[in-house]
Amino acid sequence: MPYHEFDCSKCLPERKKHAVTKGTGDNLATALPLGYLNTIPGSISERGCAYCGAKHVIGTPMKDVIHMSHGPVGCTYDTWQTKRYISDNNNFQLKYTFATDVREKHIVFGAEGLLKQNIIEAFKACPDIKRMTIYQTCATALIGDDINAVAAEVMEEMPDVDIFTCNSPGFGGPSQSGGHHKINIAWINDKVGNVEPEITSDYVINYVGEYNIQGDQEVMLDYFTRMGIQVLSTFTGNGTYDGLRAMHRAHLNVLECARSAEYICNELRVRYGIPRLDIDGFGFEPLSQSLRKIGMFFGIEDRAEKIIAEETARWKPELDWYKERLKGKKVCLWPGGSKLWHWAHAIEEEMGVKVVSVYTKFGHQGDMEKGIARCGEDALAIDDPNELEGLEALEKLQPDIIFTGKRPGEVAKKVRVPYLNAHAYHNGPYKGFEGWVRFARDIYNGIYSPMHQLSGLDISKDEIPTDRGFVTQRMLSDAKLPEEIAKSESLRRYTGKDDIIADLRKKNPPYFTPIVKAEAAE
Amino acid sequence: MTKITYKVTSEHPFPADAAAAAASLAAYEALDDVTKARVDQMVDWIMKNCLWQFHSRAWDRKRQNEGILGIAAKLLAGEPFTPETPEDRCYWVDSVTLQRAYQATCPWLATMSKDDIKALMKELHARIDYLTVTGSLNEELTDKHY
Repeated sequence: MPYHEFDCSKCLPERKKHAVTKGTGDNLATALPLGYLNTIPGSISERGCAYCGAKHVIGTPMKDVIHMSHGPVGCTYDTWQTKRYISDNNNFQLKYTFATDVREKHIVFGAEGLLKQNIIEAFKACPDIKRMTIYQTCATALIGDDINAVAAEVMEEMPDVDIFTCNSPGFGGPSQSGGHHKINIAWINDKVGNVEPEITSDYVINYVGEYNIQGDQEVMLDYFTRMGIQVLSTFTGNGTYDGLRAMHRAHLNVLECARSAEYICNELRVRYGIPRLDIDGFGFEPLSQSLRKIGMFFGIEDRAEKIIAEETARWKPELDWYKERLKGKKVCLWPGGSKLWHWAHAIEEEMGVKVVSVYTKFGHQGDMEKGIARCGEDALAIDDPNELEGLEALEKLQPDIIFTGKRPGEVAKKVRVPYLNAHAYHNGPYKGFEGWVRFARDIYNGIYSPMHQLSGLDISKDEIPTDRGFVTQRMLSDAKLPEEIAKSESLRRYTGKDDIIADLRKKNPPYFTPIVKAEAAE
Repeated sequence: MTKITYKVTSEHPFPADAAAAAASLAAYEALDDVTKARVDQMVDWIMKNCLWQFHSRAWDRKRQNEGILGIAAKLLAGEPFTPETPEDRCYWVDSVTLQRAYQATCPWLATMSKDDIKALMKELHARIDYLTVTGSLNEELTDKHY
């Protein structure tokens, strides 16, 4: 096994099996790191907890719901700052954060009364919202608070509300992935099948494992709608609580992020006979193939082809403008879980970059199998890295840019490696044809940022050149390009708008909450 | 000072069937060079462009591989296939995708007889089963639950 041992982790010998280099001739039977195990003590992991995975990744993107953390107020930290799963009801689920604010006295005397009081107060404060999810945290799980019993009591007293309880305290797994699993299973056990939806199309899907990061879901919804497909529910970005209770009536589950949501797809297949189709929403070719497959399933492939032709004609010249300027650039693909395999091959093929490393914070070995299968030779694959390993890898690999979360990303900046936010994006959405061009633009802007170039000069000791002016991005990126490409009239930079979601919402198909109504409700 | 080490042990002993893995690898290595190169090319396309081979459990992967590669073998051999159930239909769309990709990227397929194509697809199936199931290093494949 081509394990890679980091110098900084020699004092943690168990870490050696968590990193491999994919050498010439290696395959999945010869190169695969361990994964989804408890973090080794002494290794400062970048993982989140099982509560975070259940609530902040999967639960909270549901848009018409009061999301209540039963625990200390600090557990809600991630809601405001780092999440960008927007919604078309004026971002209710992002703007309002609820916690029961458990204190020391509640740990001693119990917090069930506090929870009930909070539930009722929250419903009264938000009279238009009739749905709630309650998330158990470490503290309240350890004292044995019965959140199911409290929820049942409130539902009896307030018959117009419905409450979902999620028992995924922070310690409930090696990482946030434990929480993904728990909330998937809890939702299908407790809520799916409780609502009968109105079916408005012959072609009905659940769009699963999609979290509407900066509008990803709305871009894909637009394609599906143009194909005449009814999206019964989205699990869970921009999704509705009651829509997700009706998942059992779909004809097909279209699965995007298998890491976080394959469990519910598998269960829907076993319990309701709804097949699971895994797709890629990123990259022109993978997305085209995905739309074709969905079209083929329903016998409407021609509708998919029409969209593919229109979108490719509109956006391919812009993607290729960036590809010419990104060729050969080295990237570290260091996201949380699924993007390492969604992006690994597509960015090499369609943007010309070279993936020199993939890592996953909370992925399982199955994610690494997909990532390693899709990346090229010599890529360094790391499971659950710590900060020092990340720094050592950056020094060794000398990437031109990394795609990762904001915390490791800020660390990378300090060693002068530009980073793009792989979780929440810089200027997304990145899904869809236009979104993929936006991603390419962000990569270009990161690598060729004039500010980044200037940051290499230390005014306290370096000689500052005064004989030349400011070097622009274009001067940097085009310096070595052949003239016919640099001045090509068939290629062009991104010409879309800053906000591409507003126009989609103006189309106002029936499944969108009308904007006027949502704003009036504020 | 006593060195503290932390033992990481899997709940799922692996590989589940070492004999099957060894037999599968030996069969692949015994292939002639042309067949091996063709199988490798076909495997590479699946690995780079598909996701269906990576369901989370061994039994599920076997089911997927059999479903999709079985139909793809028929389609590539020019035999008709009509999906009867939603599950069949789901396999079929991935099989058609595979058929189109192979016909576009493997020009040598056009020179092969039906029987040779079926034999090649059988080798491909065995290789995919090896890489994703019997020879896979993924320790979660034998978990009893999803």
